[in-house]
Amino acid sequence: MELNDRITLSLPCKAEYVSVARLTASGIAYRMGFDIDTVEDIKVAVSEVCSRLINVSKNSDGEYEILYEIDDNRLKVTFSSKNIERAGCIFEDDKDGLGVSIIKAFMDEVEFCPDNKDYILSMTKFIEEKS
Amino acid sequence: MSGELIVRAEYSERDAVVYLSGEIDIYNAQQFKEKIYQVVENSKGDVSIDCSDLNYIDSTGLGVFVGALKKAKQNNRDIHILNIRDNIKKLFVITGLDKLFIIH
Repeated sequence: MELNDRITLSLPCKAEYVSVARLTASGIAYRMGFDIDTVEDIKVAVSEVCSRLINVSKNSDGEYEILYEIDDNRLKVTFSSKNIERAGCIFEDDKDGLGVSIIKAFMDEVEFCPDNKDYILSMTKFIEEKS
Repeated sequence: MSGELIVRAEYSERDAVVYLSGEIDIYNAQQFKEKIYQVVENSKGDVSIDCSDLNYIDSTGLGVFVGALKKAKQNNRDIHILNIRDNIKKLFVITGLDKLFIIH
């Protein structure tokens, strides 16, 4: 049977909850059968987006959602928010670029600033075929 | 909620060693910054950071490492990184920071 599950996590824009996003990401990735190093990579990439979101959000009452779309061969993670100003392009003026480098290195596909104004970023990791 | 971070410093006549334990992320990066800057300021020589028990670090934490190195270099000193785990070393390599720090 083909997998097509969706899990949504809604979090306040507060630094103390980034670890919750990390735990959820690693739990889902591990459940899908990613190897332990890849689970770690996905966890780090998710955490980087959360941190950046919190840095750019001026309103600590803001919230954001992380949607995990689980297919047989890939995990797609989409971040969205309805109440964070300029949330669409959170990495636009990321000066040091460390977060961007990490996300690009660890995920197979990354879509920054998607057209939909509520979406912030979308990133995908494919499960490697076991030989 | 976040993994606890413990920062312990030992000073000698020649240098200082900082032992990190736990996780560094956006939640506690400021706390880490204050402590590591204090050690860099008070050390009589180079500073070594022992990462044996450091489980996780994000770009916010790496930024603090860079800031501490700049501060050390102003006094012609270096920062040495000891016993770094593979998952964290990977981050140093990806971000190019492995070329800035002395990693043992």
